[in-house]
Amino acid sequence: MVVTSQDNHTTAVTPPSGAVAATAAPSRRTTGSRRSRFAQRTAPTRSRAARRMDLPFALLLILPAVAGFAIFYAYPTFRGVYLSFTDFHVLTPPTWTGLANFRELVHDGVFWHSLGVTAYFVVLSVVFGTLISLVTAVVLHRVTRSTTLRGVILLPFLISNVIAALVWQWMLDPELGIVDIALKHLTGHSIMFLGSGGWAIPSLAAISVWKWMGYYALLIFAGLQTIPPTIYEAGRVDGASEVQMFRRLTVPLLRPILAMVVVLTVINAFQVFDIVAVTTEGGPANASNVLQEYIYRKAFRQFDFGYAATMSLALFALLVAVTFTQLRLSRANESDLS
Amino acid sequence: MRVRKVVALGATLTLAAVVSACSSGSGGGSGSKTLNWWTWDDKQAAAYQVCATDFEKANPGVTVKISQYNVTDYFTKLTAGFVGGNAPDAFQNSVQFFQAYASQHQLMPLDSYISKDAFDLSRFSVGVDAWKFTDSKQYALPLDWAATGIYYNADMLTKAGYSADDVDNLTWNPDDGGTFGKVVAHLTLDDKGRRGDQPGFDKGHVKTYGLGEMAAKDFIGQTTWSSFVSTTGWRLGDKPNWPTVFNYADPRFVKTMDWVKSLEDKGYAPKIGQFTSSVSDVDLLSSGKVALETGGSWEASTFAKIPNLKVGIAPTVKGPNGTRSVLSNSNGNNIWAGTKNPDLAWKWVSYMGSEACQSKASTTGTFFPSIPASMDASAQALKAQGVDLSVFTDMLKDKVLYPSPVYGNGAAIQDAIEPQFEAYFAGQKNDSVFTGMQSTTKSLLAKN
Repeated sequence: MVVTSQDNHTTAVTPPSGAVAATAAPSRRTTGSRRSRFAQRTAPTRSRAARRMDLPFALLLILPAVAGFAIFYAYPTFRGVYLSFTDFHVLTPPTWTGLANFRELVHDGVFWHSLGVTAYFVVLSVVFGTLISLVTAVVLHRVTRSTTLRGVILLPFLISNVIAALVWQWMLDPELGIVDIALKHLTGHSIMFLGSGGWAIPSLAAISVWKWMGYYALLIFAGLQTIPPTIYEAGRVDGASEVQMFRRLTVPLLRPILAMVVVLTVINAFQVFDIVAVTTEGGPANASNVLQEYIYRKAFRQFDFGYAATMSLALFALLVAVTFTQLRLSRANESDLS
Repeated sequence: MRVRKVVALGATLTLAAVVSACSSGSGGGSGSKTLNWWTWDDKQAAAYQVCATDFEKANPGVTVKISQYNVTDYFTKLTAGFVGGNAPDAFQNSVQFFQAYASQHQLMPLDSYISKDAFDLSRFSVGVDAWKFTDSKQYALPLDWAATGIYYNADMLTKAGYSADDVDNLTWNPDDGGTFGKVVAHLTLDDKGRRGDQPGFDKGHVKTYGLGEMAAKDFIGQTTWSSFVSTTGWRLGDKPNWPTVFNYADPRFVKTMDWVKSLEDKGYAPKIGQFTSSVSDVDLLSSGKVALETGGSWEASTFAKIPNLKVGIAPTVKGPNGTRSVLSNSNGNNIWAGTKNPDLAWKWVSYMGSEACQSKASTTGTFFPSIPASMDASAQALKAQGVDLSVFTDMLKDKVLYPSPVYGNGAAIQDAIEPQFEAYFAGQKNDSVFTGMQSTTKSLLAKN
């Protein structure tokens, strides 16, 4: 123990240059003592030589993972960043255009409109998605013990997005759809759910909420089971009603799980593409032209891959910022239970 | 050379490149070779199989493989083929993508073959010029031609008190719609049986619309408004080919759009988005939702063969000066610049452009051949099946057709302009939107 401590000490006092050592002399001791304390806590049980022998083997073990990461994540990311500074139409090599794509981005009205549409979709699906899943989970938890019912609620999640979108498109069809036939009988009028500017995004958000509700409800349900029943007993003894217990006990104690669900719904909603591509293709009049759809059209229909890469980069920066702020704000790693 | 390098790089990652590498070297039509030809039309794929069989017989050892991909994926797949090095040797192409492919050197100019074989381009009555690029080289042989006609439910027309002769001579103007506007109003029925021009007509509960989907997002209006507005002398581009601007702000165009919008507002035609894309114009007529509509010539035999419904075909309207004017476009037969068998590909393409092949393939009625003699043969064959194409053959003879302009940056223009049309017809924007649309096309057309 003492030997390692001394050993560490000597390495610490061997500075790269004499001048730095002279000026840093007063602080030398504190650095040294901190290091020795650190060394004591994580004292190695094996010799350094043995550890050095492990290194090639360790590198060999992580090689497949590193190679996979480099080829399928790092390289495409850097290539995408590079392409966002070029004019690239696939068939001819990219030409460097500097910041031209970014200037175009700033002045592209459709891009900012798409960003607004995406934000609208995110807000609708996060607010309603979280609320509906929370209520569903609480009802499941407090009212029923039936596993069948709990399983049924998960069914929409098992359907692929494209199929869910296709089925809803038929059901919402303004002439043939079952929803519109019902609406016509009740009100005498039909609504163009996916065909009118005002309804397009709310309808798409509803499809998305329907699809994901079961999954999030299940997550929250798992969170509910971690809350000890004694807390509810105490509440009941104090004369709290069911609603009061939900507001004062359940929701605060569920915060870590809720934070996770909100983060997941936000990321999920920002990535919306397939249900839009299947149903409205961004129409009518760009009313549902979410960012992914716009990027896809630029790249794979107009073959303007350079500009599409620029927009993807902007979306990436946006998502990083949103996720980071969210995690900071919601204090997701703390719980009130302990 | 750099392009080839990129292509080669892409090819290494593409599994399919291995498949396409089955033939070696280049040269004449000897030895065992497979020639790939692509189309987006399933019916034409079946029709041209006749030609492929004959071609294989005349060229022993050659196999022609015809593949069909749906039009929504066709051009993405084609581009992937260019990059991956496994594009078809020859393929059907639309003018919308002509400029993009030609300017990126993916299409082979045919001039040397045309002069070597003394191939007479004058055999085609339409579509040759549409496939001349800005370098004045010929990049394709026209595969077909298409026009627009009026299709109507013959029983509904009789019930409304009109004869076929009336519909054959409809007049139109952008101010009051002429006799065409009157017929459309009278053909419209609400759920209580009142006609569109009668008092008490309830536009909220229309049972049968007098006119099909006129308010469409299509930015050329090929089968919708183009046969109306072009009778006023209006044309889409400022020049027939390679225009610098689309004339959306022209007063004649704006007036026509206002008239189209008024039909929607009065309940004579369905609103934009009311019928989703899963409902075709054939469905609209056969279900009785619509009494009369404009439609593409390629649908003539499909309309005529709707079971238990008599569909009549009429020419498009006569404009303010008493003449008709119909847009026609031609798809082209291109050879890929990267083909391993250019001579053989030309042999196949030139055979497809011959009267022998065109007459045989077009008896199916799935397309109109660009060669007049073949067109006559096709019209006769279809007449025997009960489909009268005289409306369209007369258009060719009376010279009322004008060619669709060839323009660059087609996909970008389409994506920028269609939402504007949607917004206008949905009532979100008024007709001042057309000025902005015109300047949008100006900047996009300049971007070639």
